[in-house]
Amino acid sequence: MSEQVLKVTDLTTCYGSISAIKSISFYALDREIVGIVGPNGAGKTTLLESIAGSVQPLEGIIEFLGHRIEHWSVLKRRQLGLMLIPQEANIFPMMSVKKNLEVSVILSDRDKREELISYAYELFPILYERRKQIASTLSGGQQRMLAVGIGIASNARVMLIDEPSIGLAPKLVTKFFETLKKIRDDTKKTIVLSEQNIKVLNIADRLFGLEAGEIRFDERKENLSRDAVKDLYLGSIS
Amino acid sequence: MGGILSLPVLGVAVIYGITGIPNFAIGVIGVFGGFVTWYFLSYSMGLAIAIGVGVCFIIGWIVQRVLLTPISEMGGDATLFFIITIAVGFVFEGMLRAIFPRPNISLELPRIGTISFAGYSVEGFKIIALLFAIGTLIIIRLMEEHTEVGKSWQATSQNLKLAKLIGIKTTQVFSIASGIGCALACIGAIFWGSLYNLQLSSGWDLGFLGFIVAVVGGIGNIWGGLISALIMGMVMSFSGYLLGGEWQSVILYCIVILVLIIAPKGILGSERSL
Ligand SMILES: Nc1ncnc2c1ncn2[C@@H]1O[C@H](COP(=O)(O)OP(=O)(O)O)[C@@H](O)[C@H]1O
Ligand SMILES: [Mg+2]
Repeated sequence: MSEQVLKVTDLTTCYGSISAIKSISFYALDREIVGIVGPNGAGKTTLLESIAGSVQPLEGIIEFLGHRIEHWSVLKRRQLGLMLIPQEANIFPMMSVKKNLEVSVILSDRDKREELISYAYELFPILYERRKQIASTLSGGQQRMLAVGIGIASNARVMLIDEPSIGLAPKLVTKFFETLKKIRDDTKKTIVLSEQNIKVLNIADRLFGLEAGEIRFDERKENLSRDAVKDLYLGSIS
Repeated sequence: MGGILSLPVLGVAVIYGITGIPNFAIGVIGVFGGFVTWYFLSYSMGLAIAIGVGVCFIIGWIVQRVLLTPISEMGGDATLFFIITIAVGFVFEGMLRAIFPRPNISLELPRIGTISFAGYSVEGFKIIALLFAIGTLIIIRLMEEHTEVGKSWQATSQNLKLAKLIGIKTTQVFSIASGIGCALACIGAIFWGSLYNLQLSSGWDLGFLGFIVAVVGGIGNIWGGLISALIMGMVMSFSGYLLGGEWQSVILYCIVILVLIIAPKGILGSERSL
């Protein structure tokens, strides 16, 4: 079994008096694709933002590569190799596509920067075609690709991606997920993504079901039926 | 007038454009630097200006680092920043009163005289101030295109959260922006003090005028600020010429109100961006 690169224990995060996630425990293995699934408001974003440090948890432990990071700044977590691509506002809107990628390599080794940007263009050729275009004028789908491109440029060891498929045309989703899988296979990195789209079953090694801030299941893909995942969205009636 | 005004306006635009925080103390801090320059002027002009501007840069940096950035991290809103930066302004005005026991100074810089242009004559200082502002703007633009530092400023101004997530030291960017903004205000105050004079309270005029002009141009939009500074400058000279100096501010602020009713986001819009 490979090592746990990320481990969260009993994490609780509140907005005011409302707890958005309640005593969540979660982990990701090296080179794994973990899907966090659950309906709107389940707490997926809160969990990812708490791990990245954009949101401060009330209590709990976050371990990353053997360090306790729950009190670290976003920057320090990033320097150790953790990167979050947020659900919204995940590009620099008034910059060209090219500059979006150029600024995102800031923490990568100088001699690797060109390579990282080329790799992002290779995965998403449309970004290369539109490299001079202002990011906010891209289509919704292209903006999602750019957001992932920014993640690639950052060259983080663990990439957290918050609902990458939201708003994508169904036809695009499958292809987009395949690309994420290719990124993992090429770069040997760990990808944690939150999703509402059931197609995440096709690429995830393990799924983590979240509802109303609590864990519903944590299973390897082989052990999960589509129905178990669907139940999560419909809510268990009994 | 518009030429000199363009400097504090640029200062306001740089600070607001990058940090999103309105700093109303910027004029007072600039005038503080003007007094510091005046104090050292008898040694050497270049040195005196460098010290004054340098002091302002450092003050801007420190105020941002120890006060404004932490407050904004805690989620401070515009009202809080208004009150706090006004208070900071009074602190520096009070320090001026205590340190420099003269209410009114005039900086004796070598005069350049007036430049005649199409029948109008303009003070050389105003032209130089304007060129300085435009030059600063062009340097900022070039840095944004070609340097890592410039790109990180731009990224911070466009999406602070994402800038942090990709690893930009946004706290440092904020401090530098505030330092540059206050340094620009200081250069404006030095020009002002050599053309007219500087009083202990001049900073409020300079700061508020800078702010209002920046808002009219589209706050955070540097080009809008510059254009607005020129137009407002002309309005002031023209109304002063037609109706006498007493009516200047009445006309100016009526026009400000009118412009903002018609275009609440300013002449060029306030997409908060450098
Ligand atoms: N900034 C916020 N302020 C207050 N409540 C919030 C905020 N963000 C999220 N919430 C609440 O926390 C819960 C979890 O939200 P979120 O983490 O965004 O879920 P998901 O990403 O799974 O849709 C929801 O009930 C939501 O209303
Ligand atoms: Mg969400």
